[in-house]
Amino acid sequence: MSNTDVIAATATASGRGGIGVVRVSGGGLADFAFALLGKAPKPRVATLSNFLAADGNTIDQGVALFFPAPHSYTGEDVLELQGHGGDAVLRMVLGRCLELGARPAEPGEFTKRAFLNNKMDLAQAESVADLIDAATTEAAKSAMRSLRGEFSGAIHLLVESLINLRMLVEATLDFPEEEVDFIAEANAFGQLAAIRAQLGEVFRQARQGSLLREGAHVALIGQPNVGKSSLLNQLAGEEVAIVTPVAGTTRDAIRQHIEIEGVPLHFIDTAGLRETEDEVEKIGIARAWCAIRQANVALLLVDATQGVAPADLEIIAALPPGLPLLRVFNKIDLLEREPGSSGVDGVTDVYLSAKTGAGVDLLHQQLLRMVGWHGGGEGAFMARARHLKALGEAEGRLVLAEACKGRIELFAEELRLAQLALSSITGEFTADDLLGEIFSRFCIGK
Amino acid sequence: MLYPTLFDVIVIGGGHAGAEAALASARMGMKTLLLTHNIETLGQMSCNPSIGGIGKGHLVKEVDALGGAMAAATDEAGIQFRILNSSKGPAVRATRAQADRVLYRQAIRGRLENQPNLWLFQQAVDDLLLEQNRVVGVVTQLGLRFRASTVVLTAGTFLAGLVHVGLSNYKAGRAGDPPSITLAHRLRELALPVKRFKTGTPPRIDGRTLDYSVMEEQPGDNPAPAFSFLGDPSLHPRQLPCWITHTNQRTHEIIRGGLDRSPLYTGVIAGVGPRYCPSIEDKITRFSSKDSHQIFVEPEGLGTHEIYPNGISTSLPFDVQVDLVRSIRGFESAHITRPGYAIEYDYFDPVGLKHSLETKAIQGLFFAGQINGTTGYEEAAAQGLLAGINAARAAQGKDAWYPARDQAYIGVMVDDLITRGVVEPYRMFTSRAEYRLLLREDNADLRLTEEGRGLGVIDDKRWRHFEAKREAIAAEQERLKSTWVNPRLLPQKEAERVLGKNIEHEYSLLDLLRRPDVDYQNLMTLPGVGPGVSNAEVSEQVEIQAKYQGYISRQLEEIARHQHYETMALPSDLDYREVHGLSIEGQHKLNQHKPETLGQAARISGVTPAAISVLLVHLKRAEQDIKTTSNKKSA
Repeated sequence: MSNTDVIAATATASGRGGIGVVRVSGGGLADFAFALLGKAPKPRVATLSNFLAADGNTIDQGVALFFPAPHSYTGEDVLELQGHGGDAVLRMVLGRCLELGARPAEPGEFTKRAFLNNKMDLAQAESVADLIDAATTEAAKSAMRSLRGEFSGAIHLLVESLINLRMLVEATLDFPEEEVDFIAEANAFGQLAAIRAQLGEVFRQARQGSLLREGAHVALIGQPNVGKSSLLNQLAGEEVAIVTPVAGTTRDAIRQHIEIEGVPLHFIDTAGLRETEDEVEKIGIARAWCAIRQANVALLLVDATQGVAPADLEIIAALPPGLPLLRVFNKIDLLEREPGSSGVDGVTDVYLSAKTGAGVDLLHQQLLRMVGWHGGGEGAFMARARHLKALGEAEGRLVLAEACKGRIELFAEELRLAQLALSSITGEFTADDLLGEIFSRFCIGK
Repeated sequence: MLYPTLFDVIVIGGGHAGAEAALASARMGMKTLLLTHNIETLGQMSCNPSIGGIGKGHLVKEVDALGGAMAAATDEAGIQFRILNSSKGPAVRATRAQADRVLYRQAIRGRLENQPNLWLFQQAVDDLLLEQNRVVGVVTQLGLRFRASTVVLTAGTFLAGLVHVGLSNYKAGRAGDPPSITLAHRLRELALPVKRFKTGTPPRIDGRTLDYSVMEEQPGDNPAPAFSFLGDPSLHPRQLPCWITHTNQRTHEIIRGGLDRSPLYTGVIAGVGPRYCPSIEDKITRFSSKDSHQIFVEPEGLGTHEIYPNGISTSLPFDVQVDLVRSIRGFESAHITRPGYAIEYDYFDPVGLKHSLETKAIQGLFFAGQINGTTGYEEAAAQGLLAGINAARAAQGKDAWYPARDQAYIGVMVDDLITRGVVEPYRMFTSRAEYRLLLREDNADLRLTEEGRGLGVIDDKRWRHFEAKREAIAAEQERLKSTWVNPRLLPQKEAERVLGKNIEHEYSLLDLLRRPDVDYQNLMTLPGVGPGVSNAEVSEQVEIQAKYQGYISRQLEEIARHQHYETMALPSDLDYREVHGLSIEGQHKLNQHKPETLGQAARISGVTPAAISVLLVHLKRAEQDIKTTSNKKSA
């Protein structure tokens, strides 16, 4: 527990509700609670109490819960006052807390204290923040999994395997006079392959979580008036872009956030990519290319009655290399064609009608597949960009380790760096810890 | 009486730490007194007769690079030299030598006796002279008082030493020498944080009673390497092999049968022993599934028949020792010349030291060697050198000097000791060094000698030798960088022979040398390229630096990233209880360690990354407060 000052905040959303909660945390809240409740609350027992004003009058009546340190959410004394909902009464209860010496908590300060008091690790603390601002229900579920330490757990398992491998390698380097060939005996190189597979799986799940959190960007491009705005409207179910029969109407990139199966997809509708002398349109075209460079997927919309225009081919050739391309053939209603989809050589085609909505569900499926969503929130960890970066760094190190298996001290260095990368998620692992592992596993020394 | 000469530096103890401390201080021009209870045992190897090994050899090379005696003495006393890990890469490659105890003592004593500015005096030290919180001298057994500006204490295992053989024990500094009881009591009164460790040795054996024909011979390297940068294999005395044998099931049964009289297993010994150097009773108890353990049969010297059976350190009763020794293959009729024993001794929690090895509690008092909770001659020598340098600098009124973790194993060791403390006797391993690829034996001189010259511990001879080598390396690197190999002028046969395949465009020799499968000597045989440098040390440096360039520059980047924290000073008077947001554990650890920098704070166990961010916030806030205050003043 820490000798921090007392903070208080309304823990429930503002507006009229059945219950409103004010939460207080800090060092030594017993006196505070006595002054507010007129009695000493029993630890961890829900007690019906009056919440008293300075003059002894009752502000509200409700349930008081007292969690003495260190067994509380923040690791400090925590007092929870569950009163009636409603802004006015909550303001009065909170005001009374401030009168008693508390100060208003900063956003996330309860969690920060929990983290500072070692009640949760960094990964857990961050997932609390994710839980609070999770935009979709799937993301909330995933944040919950990380909060329970499943992400931490998976990382810890991974790090354990890595430590085991490093132990063998370091023992080989530091104890050459032992009779054991640590590396051959424990199939160290086989272990490396297993760790890489393990890391790949964690990475995949973390990417899923990141997808839920961050979503994916889709650049919507195509010739003027092929129906991009209509398609967006169809996907979003509301008017976001102006639909007119005049080519070049969409003069700016319009962003629309559409949630499909819980995955936030950020569509960037682009101005018609065509040669123009119009200064305003030139700006629109420059922005469109900017959007394309940021995108995870490019969606090229084609008028099915016209086929792929030579100008479309030019655009495809100008896309950033490796950017997945989804070609959508619109206006099949005019051709009386059935909706459908096919994929050849990394290019996926979908036939639909933005006007009638036929085939839009196929587009949903293909989009999700192409941004890397493997369906369902199960197994997805709420990973932050920081976590993905660390996992990516570790993966890169393990690839390099694989390449220098014959040069054992460099192999050791890559493994050290792989673990160093992961330690930004799990916390530091010292040389002493490593030596401890060696001595507990092997009979070392003359 | 008060001895009439006033000294700059007094060194107490003439072991590996004391010898290097006294020599360094005297080299720096300080009037130095070395006090030992026995001049005959200066430079004594109390345990195994070997110097170096993985991590330890690195330390010896660093001591040598700073002008120390250990490597040069080993060159004169070594009866077997080997390079360990020779196939595993330059960073983990290490030199190890068996040394003749008598020759080693002679080599050290000769250096001590002939060192200008250094006086030797035989007398046990009983007390320190203190004025307030400052040491001003020492008092010996006879009541002689010696005054000095600074004092280096290197008491080894002598402080309240207690030797165990079976359930009987007696007070001793090591077998055959008296302990320092009075001094130990005095130091305990000074409220320094004292704790107990334990270490041990095997019984010594008359080599004439062994059957070597059933053992495996372990010869030294041929040609034998030199240990010192100034050394030469021609300095080595006659070389001897070592031998290897093993314990067996019967040995283990005998040991198990004696555990009820083992001081370790009956709780008589309270001190903590090292896990990497366990007694044989520990090995068979903790790793009961292993049915055999290796024993290295090491000669004690050229002028003696005694051998040191490395691997059966024990404090079992003597009758058990006889049985267990005779159960070993080749040892069936062995005669034990000295019983094995364990020794418990006082050490001081090194958390109470600064990077200079000066105690935080008593100004001018430096600790080095085993009393800081380390083990090993090499660890002791390295600390002795550092303490000697800093005791001299303190006497000169200069700031402390110590190498950083990325500069030397000495820096790693001192930082580990004072930051993390010790839970078992501390021994150097290469895995302790995060910048292992930079801290190699081969470049210890390039890392340290120039600084040593500035400190005043490098004499002209070594300096000239070093400068010549450094210039030769730079010249050859420049030549390789500016010599180009043109594919049109290179016959295909030659390219395949040296490079493995044709080159597709022009390359500099340095680029070609970076390739993993191209070696320097071979590269020099390309037409028009050779002959290259003949000094193997120079070509080795050129080759390693070329091949490891990528890794080296990455480690340098890593260092630069941490540099920020490493240089962010924490005020020594900061009371961490007043730092807002620190956990009680964090406050306690930080108050206990009083780290010098934020980087050091981050390495203290129990100090979480959260605590570091809290400290960062605190430092920033304090900085702003100062600014605000000074703004107010100026306004």
